[in-house]
Amino acid sequence: MIKSLQQRLSFDKTVSIAPLITFRIVFGLLMFLSIVRFWWNGWIESIYVQPKFHFTYVGFEWVQPLGNIGMHLIFLCIGLSALMIVFGLFYRFATIVFFISFTYVELIDVTTYLNHYYFISLVAFLLIFLPANKDYAVDMRLHPEQRRLTVPAWCVGILRFQMTVVYIFAGIAKLNPDWLFEAMPMRIWLPGKTHLPIIGSLMYETWVAYLFSWFGAVYDLLIAFFLLNKKTRPIAFAFVLIFHIATAIFFPAIGMFPFVMIANSLIFFSAAFHQKLQSYLLFYNNRLKKTIPNSQPYYFHFAPLMKAALYIYIAFQLVFPFRYLLYPGHLFWHEEGFRFSWRVMLMEKSGAAYFTVKDKISQQKIEVNNREFLTPLQEKMMSTQPDLIVKYAHHLANEYRQKGIQQPAVYAEIYVALNGSRSRLFIDSSVNLAAEKLGWQHYNWVLPYLKKSN
Amino acid sequence: MKKITASFIAMTLLLTSLFSCSKNENKDDNPANGFDKAAMLSSYSDNLIIPAYATMQQKIAALQIASDAFIANPNASTQAAVKTAYSETHLQYIKIATFNFGPADNALLDNYLNFCGGLDYSFTADGELTGFSVDTNSINNNISAGAYNLEMLTRSGFYSQGFPALNYLYFGNEAITKMDSKRAKYISDLLARMKILIDKVANDWIGYRSTFVSNTQTNSGSPIAYIVNQMSYQLDLLKGPRIGWPLGKQSNGKVFETKCEAYYAGISMALAVENLNSIKRLYTGNNVSGKGLSDYLVALNQSTLNTDVLAQFDIALAKLKAIPDPLSNSLLTQPTKVDEAYKEIQKLVTLMKTDVASATAVQISYADNDGD
Repeated sequence: MIKSLQQRLSFDKTVSIAPLITFRIVFGLLMFLSIVRFWWNGWIESIYVQPKFHFTYVGFEWVQPLGNIGMHLIFLCIGLSALMIVFGLFYRFATIVFFISFTYVELIDVTTYLNHYYFISLVAFLLIFLPANKDYAVDMRLHPEQRRLTVPAWCVGILRFQMTVVYIFAGIAKLNPDWLFEAMPMRIWLPGKTHLPIIGSLMYETWVAYLFSWFGAVYDLLIAFFLLNKKTRPIAFAFVLIFHIATAIFFPAIGMFPFVMIANSLIFFSAAFHQKLQSYLLFYNNRLKKTIPNSQPYYFHFAPLMKAALYIYIAFQLVFPFRYLLYPGHLFWHEEGFRFSWRVMLMEKSGAAYFTVKDKISQQKIEVNNREFLTPLQEKMMSTQPDLIVKYAHHLANEYRQKGIQQPAVYAEIYVALNGSRSRLFIDSSVNLAAEKLGWQHYNWVLPYLKKSN
Repeated sequence: MKKITASFIAMTLLLTSLFSCSKNENKDDNPANGFDKAAMLSSYSDNLIIPAYATMQQKIAALQIASDAFIANPNASTQAAVKTAYSETHLQYIKIATFNFGPADNALLDNYLNFCGGLDYSFTADGELTGFSVDTNSINNNISAGAYNLEMLTRSGFYSQGFPALNYLYFGNEAITKMDSKRAKYISDLLARMKILIDKVANDWIGYRSTFVSNTQTNSGSPIAYIVNQMSYQLDLLKGPRIGWPLGKQSNGKVFETKCEAYYAGISMALAVENLNSIKRLYTGNNVSGKGLSDYLVALNQSTLNTDVLAQFDIALAKLKAIPDPLSNSLLTQPTKVDEAYKEIQKLVTLMKTDVASATAVQISYADNDGD
């Protein structure tokens, strides 16, 4: 296993460039379609133009929306660079533009965080360094002498690694008592799916919720290994199709995620498979007539540096999702170390938050109308996530200071229901949140999680 | 590796058997031991929504008659008659206001008939057009101009027609003495427009019914999600613009008594009580046994939650009923009672937005978006 991992990520061993070419085209197309969909739904305006306030990430407070025209321009950049990636036109430039513009947009507001957006940012970052334009690309018509048939093994291996990380960590995340022994949140979600043809009537059955939960966990934990193994690959890919199409049907609100996973799972297939696939593409055979490719494998100029960077990247990917272990308390309740860890559709959590601003000097008391400052989506996300709560409290303190309250103290009465248990007081209502720090430390003003008593 | 392969095959078998056996089992659309959502939605449309619109059509017709009598001969007696008709019509409107989705939403019925100012506008100063304000300036300008466009999508446009405008024109200071042909025409035009909108929504529901009944999903935009979201939206309106914000909750106790709903008619509390009753009817499906959202919760093994929600409705209703009309007076003379009702309503909001929303797997979000 370890040995094969070394081989898969080797700088010396070379493999066919074919999987990388398919990956580039499919990824670019999917990103282009996602941007079109996002634009079409009017989400650029409703998510990035209309809100008066944005929940920035710690350390990225400088990332701000760029106004109506600016945001549409940046989405235009993302869309066009995605198309350029598809065609392999000015590939390095296009991947850099895509990575920066896409990541910029994602960093604007924490409440829009989705695991597959994080995945897309990571893949876009990797693509900057991968020679995915060295065959069947417009760039190679411009510079035929650069065409290659082989690349160092890690160029394909790192993408397979990234996919594997998503699956396995999503699987590990499901190994919790609620998911396995209570079938939560499936038990809550599935009764809402009785409209489905054929299987609809089964959705009220508890055993179906257990089946879905356990199947999902086993699938996530093992699917990558079966995709890696040549013998099991075809059946494994059939499972990928069934699983993700099913999630798309059951949970349409999950958006592009199933399609991203299906398309990118193609990376696990062999060079021969990809060559066959690409042979159906326009001009695929024409490209051979032009020149004979450079028989040397693609060569990295700063190989030792790249190697070091690669190992750091891999280590980060393996360690970062486990950072929640450094925090006390129940992960789903506190959500400390929850994001950027492939925890997808893992819990049913909803909250109601009531904020009060008090002036320490004049003893004025004002109950905050959240809708004055936040969109319904922002309010929903904020109500259950401690770091967003404290961020919002700081914003409220600023707003009310400008409205003439000299020393605003911000208090919140918040109730949260998690995975089928009844709503409970979430934070200490007597704590002035305006004075609490935002950061990586444990927030001790969040009340401890109490096991359900339904 | 062999073990893994074996378990993988086992899962495959399980999945295929699931799909195959389900094909045989499901002969009819009504699950034997499950809850029939289509029947629930049928009951909502036939026992609650459609009849309420029909009654609304009758009430507005009756109001037109009383209004014509008042216009023709404005005096204390015709004013009293129009007050009765107006109150009945406004109360009936409150009953249908909770169906602010589908046809009503498309027609912007709530904006044109009883504009609440929106939840994203807070009360900060007198004279601002927020909550259940009346734009008397625009109304008077419209009347003296004699020409106006009632279809404009502006806040002052919304605030100068529908119930806010009518209750000012019928019951405002000098409503009797100021009556003239221009004023009379404006009143008649407002009523005619209200009737057109109500007829449109009532008729549209006949066609919309099948869409409503057949969509048993719980995604955002589905009827069940509409119902759950409307309950929490209406409770937010009750808590904010109807009683809490006029009480001064956002303004350190500074009372905004003129922003009470139907301020000139002085029936704010009757409307508020009717509002909460209507939300409760939306929750229970007009008390038709086995056909309400409350029954769906029971079917989902949430009977304790259901009991708690029903009890909280009753507590909040009792507290609301303890506040006498006109609310504009009670805000100043009995603020504690209003505050007590406010607190109980907030508890109900919490139950709806957290427990009920979670149990029914409905997102409280008035917009569509991705999530994971």
